[in-house]
Amino acid sequence: MSDVYLQALLSGLMIGGVYALVAVGLTLIFGVMDIINFAHGEFLMFGMYAAFFASVLFGIDPYVTAVLALPAFFAVGWAIQGTLIKPVVGKSHAIQILLTLGLSLLLQALAQYLFSADFQSLKLDYADATLQIAGARIGWTRVAAFAISMGLCLALWLFLQRTDTGKALRACAEEHEGSLAVGIDLGRMYKIAFGLGIACVAIAGIAMTPFFYVAPVVGPKFTLVAFVIVVLGGLGNIPGAVAGALIVGVVESVGALVMPSPSLKDLAVYVLFILVLLFRPQGLFGGKGA
Amino acid sequence: MAPSPSPGPSPAPSPGASSGTLGAPPRFFAASRARIFYLVVLALLLLLPLVSESAAVEAVMPVGLTGSALLHVFVLIFFFAFMSQAWNIIGGFAGQLSIGHAAFFGIGAYVSTICYVHLGLSPWIGMLVAAAVTSVFGAGLGLVSFHYGLKGPFFALVTVAFAEITRLVLLHWEFVGAANGILLPFEPDPTFWQFQFKGKEPYYYIALVMMLCSIALVAWIARSRFGYYLHAIRQDEDAAEAVGVPTKRCKIQAIALSAALAGMGGTFYAQYTQYIVPDDMVVGRVSVEILLGAVIGGAGTVMGPIIGAFILIPVGEATRVIFEGGGTGVSLSTLISSDLGFGEKFVAYLDYLASGGGGGLAVILYGVLLMAVVLGMPGGVLPWLSGLRQRLRRRADQAGG
Amino acid sequence: MSLFEASGVTKRFGGLTAVNGVDFRVETGEIVGLIGPNGAGKTTFFNLISGFLKPDEGDVVFEGASIVGQKPSDICKRGMTRTFQIVKPFAEMTVTDNVLVGAFNHHRDAGSARKRARAVIELVGLGPQADKLGGELTVGGRKRVELAKALATEPKLMLLDEVMAGLTPSEVAGMIEVLGRVREAGVTMVIVEHVMQVIMNLSDRIYVLHHGEAIAEGRPQEILNNPEVTKAYLGDSFLADQEAADADKAAWRESQAARDEGDGSGAPRP
Repeated sequence: MSDVYLQALLSGLMIGGVYALVAVGLTLIFGVMDIINFAHGEFLMFGMYAAFFASVLFGIDPYVTAVLALPAFFAVGWAIQGTLIKPVVGKSHAIQILLTLGLSLLLQALAQYLFSADFQSLKLDYADATLQIAGARIGWTRVAAFAISMGLCLALWLFLQRTDTGKALRACAEEHEGSLAVGIDLGRMYKIAFGLGIACVAIAGIAMTPFFYVAPVVGPKFTLVAFVIVVLGGLGNIPGAVAGALIVGVVESVGALVMPSPSLKDLAVYVLFILVLLFRPQGLFGGKGA
Repeated sequence: MAPSPSPGPSPAPSPGASSGTLGAPPRFFAASRARIFYLVVLALLLLLPLVSESAAVEAVMPVGLTGSALLHVFVLIFFFAFMSQAWNIIGGFAGQLSIGHAAFFGIGAYVSTICYVHLGLSPWIGMLVAAAVTSVFGAGLGLVSFHYGLKGPFFALVTVAFAEITRLVLLHWEFVGAANGILLPFEPDPTFWQFQFKGKEPYYYIALVMMLCSIALVAWIARSRFGYYLHAIRQDEDAAEAVGVPTKRCKIQAIALSAALAGMGGTFYAQYTQYIVPDDMVVGRVSVEILLGAVIGGAGTVMGPIIGAFILIPVGEATRVIFEGGGTGVSLSTLISSDLGFGEKFVAYLDYLASGGGGGLAVILYGVLLMAVVLGMPGGVLPWLSGLRQRLRRRADQAGG
Repeated sequence: MSLFEASGVTKRFGGLTAVNGVDFRVETGEIVGLIGPNGAGKTTFFNLISGFLKPDEGDVVFEGASIVGQKPSDICKRGMTRTFQIVKPFAEMTVTDNVLVGAFNHHRDAGSARKRARAVIELVGLGPQADKLGGELTVGGRKRVELAKALATEPKLMLLDEVMAGLTPSEVAGMIEVLGRVREAGVTMVIVEHVMQVIMNLSDRIYVLHHGEAIAEGRPQEILNNPEVTKAYLGDSFLADQEAADADKAAWRESQAARDEGDGSGAPRP
């Protein structure tokens, strides 16, 4: 394998790890509430701004912000579920899509109003440090983002498997009526699921801030990529989402090599998406209930 | 789309269908009252360009919002009403939520512009070519999506991906100007065939006619078998299929027609702004703005998209004028890196926000409106109003009897 | 030649064989009953012969031509239609418009379709409710709309999936009367029903489905006296009335399961 391809493979895996955390948040929300959150990427964007401003205004390191953001964004998700999303749970998909689309529009424009449409990026002392693997170089900040994301995915998975709350969440994902019958408080479960989903995607954004630009418009791309991953990995399937994310990361970075222009790399992802939707709608690894 | 009565096909005063029921006479009067209202509005709109600079208009409208500025706002209203009506066919009537209509809009603009720039084809003809091309894209997208049974969010996602693919292709295609887009050649002395005009009035009337045609088309659809079929599909596809509705074919026809109209809208936009560029046209925000009017006014109804556009655009433009007029001229980046203390920075930042911040207030309002309508009147404003009227009448009946 | 003939129809969901080699025949003018205990595969069988599911094996022939693999709408055009156990009125349309959608099957023009719709609405006794929305009706009203929509397509053969379920005794009586009129209008029918009394009274012939297989076929009296049927079906239901209620729920679950298997979101249409 030539160095270029090794480089592409490694950077693809690193960014794929971050995508995994974004997608896991989306798939958790979908699995438990059967709602597709079109505003998902906007929370990533707000996570990025949180890290950016914490750093430039107060000198707080993004990795510290990440820790602080977990409860903060969990609370934001909890509140949004309790107010905006709650009325549309169980309603038609069209209503749910339009509501989250409206939220996405609102949050994007709000970010533009508050933070202006300018592209910002953080300049950190350690941003240029790289790790050498064979002929490839990977920025340490990317390795860190990968590690944080993978760690959180694992933690979330363990939470769902081992704890009582996690098991209750999974029960909701399996069958709503059944979980009601055994006395699970569905409303609370929805808030937890939305809170966790939002916390995941916001932290993914924060972990990317050291090496990624921030702007009000960064969200939709991540929403779409997360959908691609979730469909690829099977709806509601967390390990599937992680695997799907790594695949998408690699397809994207190898796509950048193969395509006539590197900025066409997303094309490869969207084409993959449409192919999967058409030919294997249950995902590569099976979805909810499959 | 929503569990509320839709004044789509149903309230068309069907001769004799309900002649025996008590509700019939008031409904008939209500319908004709609405018709009179629409005709009066139409007459005013036809006359507006003649009086747009008159003292009367200047007295009523805010400063600056007269003459061509006023006409510009109306061109926007007509244009968005037209685009929203195009979306309404697939998104409202057939209930297949497309969030990628910016793609058809963009493709239409590019097709007619390329025909004009490279072949010297009149944009009027180019508009028809654009409609043909976009309807093929629409049919293709529908064929693929509906053949594989994509529904609800999955269809929506495919349309988003389609729009993104379109944007990326346009953005990297040198022949069509790539990221720089195409600047239409300026004609100092334009003829009608060049679809360029010196004043705003011709654009105003063209946009108005396009909007009226789209209303007529959709009104005709609403009363036809096709319209009933689309409404049935939106409510329950299996049930529709069981009673003989060829659901797949109808949906493909609907998206092809919708795409064709959106493509024509693209041509108009290109001729009006004289400049097309992928990152302004084929983006998610535009796709959402296209569906916004229909969803707010009443998706799946004939007048919904029109009412929606007449609400949205003035609200948006007013917000822009009122809140984004000034601006301190300080960019946020400069502010952040300035040497001020935190307190002073914060005060300066509040100033910055008060003078419109980074913009986007109108879109914030759009987002709020969209969510408010979805939560509060899920069928849109028009169905909500007719529901309200029914409730009031029922209450009056109860009080009277 | 029979009006309708299914031979060796088989459907498997994963490891489970829901319908196994069923032969089924309907002659013109008949009312054929289809019964079977819960989970016998009646709804799945209905979906198979009406084009909503594709059989893994076997053939389905309507008026001498195979309809396997055709879309339900094409089958409807040929003159065969179905109703749904979980009724599916178009909730945002008036009763008239609901029926109109069906009437458009053979009338392109709105005027003549409307005439047809009005006739059907009178036939099923929905006249007074013609202007109500589909979503506003009672269960009884919805069942009639379901029937009227199907009838408006001018079918030669109508497959009725539990049109009596959930109705009060007086509504059942009304529905039986309506079905009698439908029969007089020359429509052949297949009815799936849990209310035994209804099926015994209405049917000319009855098929019994058990564990996805047709275990008996014959006149109502023969079926009642068939020991195998008694063992499989009637034997368990001395408390028939009470069980009918449970049966409704179970059948609902069964049909949900079949739907979930058949058209999970985004999955290709069978």
